[in-house]
Amino acid sequence: MWCRQLLPLLALLSPALAGVQELWWNVTYVENANPDGLFERRVVGVNGTWPPPPIEVNNTDSLLVHVTNSIDTLATLHHHGMFFNSTSWMDGAIGVAQCGIPMGQTFDYVVPINTSGQVGTYWAHGHANGIYVDGLRTPLLLHSANETYGADYDAEFTIMLSDWYHQEHTVLMESFISIANPGGAEPIPDAALIYFSQNGSYLPPISGSHPSPVTSAVGFNENSTLPFEPGKTYRLRIINMGAFAGFYFWIDGHEMQIIEVDGTDTLPQPADVLSLAVAQRYSVLVTARNDTSSNWAIHANMDTSMFDKVPSTLNPNITSTITYSASANTTNLTTISSYTLVNDTSLVPFAALPAPNPTDTLDLVFNFATMNDGTNHGYINDLVYNSPVVPAIISALTLGDNATSQVAYGPYSFVYNYGDVIDLVVMNADKGKHPFHLHGYKMQIVNTATDYTSDDPSLNPPLVEGQANPMRRDTVTIPGGGHIEWHLDSGLAVQFITAPLQIQEQAQGRVPSFLYDQCTALGIPASGNAAGYASPTDLSGLPLGPWFQKLGWLTKGILAMAGCVLTAVLGILTVVWYSAMGGTITEEEIEEAVLKRIEEKERKGKFFGLIKKKT
Amino acid sequence: MAPQNLFSVSIFFIVFRETLEAVIIVSVLLGLVEQIVHGDIDQLTTVAQYYQPSPAQQNDSETTTPEGESDVTAKRRLIRKLRFQVFAGAGIGLFLSFALGAAFIAVWFTKASNLWAKAENLWEGIFELIACWMILVMGITMLKLDRAKAKWRVKLQRAFSDQHVDRGTRTGKWVLFILPMITVLREGIEAVVFVGGVALGQPAESIPIAAIVGLACGLICGYLIYQFASRSTLTIFLIVMTNLILLIGAGLFSKAIWSFQEYAFNNMLGQDVDDSGGDGPGSYNVRGNVWHLECCNPETDMSWGIFNAVLGWTNSATLGSVLSYVFYWLLVIAVLVRMKFQEGRTKLFGWESAAGTRRRLASEKRAEEAASDEKASPAISTIESVSSPTELPL
Repeated sequence: MWCRQLLPLLALLSPALAGVQELWWNVTYVENANPDGLFERRVVGVNGTWPPPPIEVNNTDSLLVHVTNSIDTLATLHHHGMFFNSTSWMDGAIGVAQCGIPMGQTFDYVVPINTSGQVGTYWAHGHANGIYVDGLRTPLLLHSANETYGADYDAEFTIMLSDWYHQEHTVLMESFISIANPGGAEPIPDAALIYFSQNGSYLPPISGSHPSPVTSAVGFNENSTLPFEPGKTYRLRIINMGAFAGFYFWIDGHEMQIIEVDGTDTLPQPADVLSLAVAQRYSVLVTARNDTSSNWAIHANMDTSMFDKVPSTLNPNITSTITYSASANTTNLTTISSYTLVNDTSLVPFAALPAPNPTDTLDLVFNFATMNDGTNHGYINDLVYNSPVVPAIISALTLGDNATSQVAYGPYSFVYNYGDVIDLVVMNADKGKHPFHLHGYKMQIVNTATDYTSDDPSLNPPLVEGQANPMRRDTVTIPGGGHIEWHLDSGLAVQFITAPLQIQEQAQGRVPSFLYDQCTALGIPASGNAAGYASPTDLSGLPLGPWFQKLGWLTKGILAMAGCVLTAVLGILTVVWYSAMGGTITEEEIEEAVLKRIEEKERKGKFFGLIKKKT
Repeated sequence: MAPQNLFSVSIFFIVFRETLEAVIIVSVLLGLVEQIVHGDIDQLTTVAQYYQPSPAQQNDSETTTPEGESDVTAKRRLIRKLRFQVFAGAGIGLFLSFALGAAFIAVWFTKASNLWAKAENLWEGIFELIACWMILVMGITMLKLDRAKAKWRVKLQRAFSDQHVDRGTRTGKWVLFILPMITVLREGIEAVVFVGGVALGQPAESIPIAAIVGLACGLICGYLIYQFASRSTLTIFLIVMTNLILLIGAGLFSKAIWSFQEYAFNNMLGQDVDDSGGDGPGSYNVRGNVWHLECCNPETDMSWGIFNAVLGWTNSATLGSVLSYVFYWLLVIAVLVRMKFQEGRTKLFGWESAAGTRRRLASEKRAEEAASDEKASPAISTIESVSSPTELPL
């Protein structure tokens, strides 16, 4: 996989036409939301509504989102897939790019869409304490006046897929990272959601349905529908905005042509079924049927192979409809013979970009294990990720010349130079498949192995260098086995710091003061290395661990075993002492004692027991 | 299948021990047979009197005097007949206790065993707890088994004399049949209770082989001991057996606590209990763990299973399992020290128990008497050299 610096070229584009699309987002709780019709719960919404409004931006504008935190935990907003060349403090990842917005404060996110050259389907979501799992997520569409396939469709819809939990993220985390869950079974969703948007607003529920009042403006699942007109061609942008579950997506009676993947336009490729890991997006062209005699089912099935079990109360397969005529019946073919994953390496980007020669190779092996505190954690290269005390961006900005020290950012960090091309080899040692997401970059997928330990070239093909136009996307599924919220929470992450000295140079006078102020407000050092010291190496107090369990004969085990053996030997010696060492009772004494006892019994009138009774 | 599922070591020892005691009883009875034939049964009614004034005298009074040749053949025939009675009685007693045991176990395992299928670890712990206490009681009383011969001799003699007085000579004829039957039955029921208690937590198929082998070993050892060995050899033998049995008991106690903890852990895991599998991280509770080896699991490995059955080995020891093992032994030590003290066989920090005082006074008195006897007739040796008055050849 190439991780390539696309940005230097794109930065040259003129920002002359730039406007600003400005949004004021007050992150609030919304009570009693019940999108699946099964359970009312508190969700995290925006300006008192849920779901948060969809964001659609022209690529001539930059996006400015004023995010105010009105919930009782830290908040951030991450624009997934966006490049923040030279302004990476705007990325929104808590603990990496910022300290988190304290309650009542505001962080102004500037997304330089006008200069990033990005177009396509993205999404925005909270990136702190799982608030996106609790609802803070919305599509982010970047439109261009000259779309690659702009002439090929008449209208477009956005389709949001998501798993849905009835418990809040903090509650789920307590049971997930818990000594009672040593196997690390991820929380299993309680439902799945599908809903639609168009031109920046959600599609309403079908008439005659009785949606929950809190979300009555939005149609979910069987209450939702896409209105199709015969003969027209639609662009459907499908986003998996969930926390855990992958989705299989298809439409009965209609064919799909993939034209965009994670913001990369591709040559058209037909697909029967789309497979979307969490955070992945596809755009497909779908041509409406010419007859209006029937409406057709839209299917979104959760990939239950990732669940440790499928509870009987969970319906993993949800449907919506395409409506041609309100009076027509719906054709629902329901079953599918087998799921196939979209082979994204076979997709070809529309704009050819040859794979550069890597300047460096980085192997990342990730897996999960029960750690020495009894909880299950993800780890990469044998290390569980913990957020550093000081976010890496702030370290890079404030460490001066020490910013080039890889050690300063914590042991889970990798420092690269400007323009480095990294051959990132991500190896999944776990059974399940895992989506892998790199903030601020697109990765070129140059090779995929089903089993990286295999010698079989069909399972572990050799890397072909110098590929003319490998597929590139920001969220890649690593087979066997990221962007699964639970795994991020459990420590499955590393951080890359690219060109820290250039970051400092370009940041001169551009870093908003609230970046530092909010850290200070939270009692977090606003400068220094990962542990908050102005030192390239002193990391004392940096949260690390838990660590791998150490098995076998440790000191305490040896001592315990010695103690057991010692007391057993003492006991055995006592037995010997009791029987054989001194104080021997002679036969006479025994007989005397027995006789005495018998006489005593007789005197008491209770006769000698069994013998007398039976005879 | 793990080896402990086919052969329960604890059951082997219980059956072995009870068989040994039954053999002792039968051997005493066989001795009594000769006494009855050669001597006079009426003499036995006054057996208590033998012990009163002087042990040397009773030795004399008991010695049988040679009689005529025809009398000898008649007596031999009578002895054979009476011995047959003893063996028949013991055999029937054994059979009855076996039948009882089999019925008990059959009912238990067919009717009751599904009671605890759901919470296996909890019940295993409870049963192991019961078993380890039974083994403690049994192991410690086993140490007194070398005194059993004398004890039973007195008891049976008393029983005979009482029979004679109460029922007259006709029913007295059957005493040699009924007595061994009842005593063996009694030992048998005791064994069944013990086996039942210990077997609660074990699969039914682990009982028969262990019980049969225990029975055979008990019979053989009992025979050998009474044919060839002295009391001191028996003492050594019993020390070895007791130590083995207490090792098992300590292991069982440790396992019981371990099972409770495992039950609590599995309860906490709930549905996730089978998620990880294997012996690695995640398969056990790290909290309170003392050692964990990713091998040597007695539940999956044959040879370690034997180690587990005999010594309570586990590859995943907890604070609870280690401490319980240690405390079991500490309890054994405390009980034995207390027992020896109360039996008057040892002083503790200069203190003497009531029995100790009594024994000391008795031995002083005897020494005094021996001294005066020695003055009177120097030919008679000291008390130590005098063999037990009712010690009988088999």
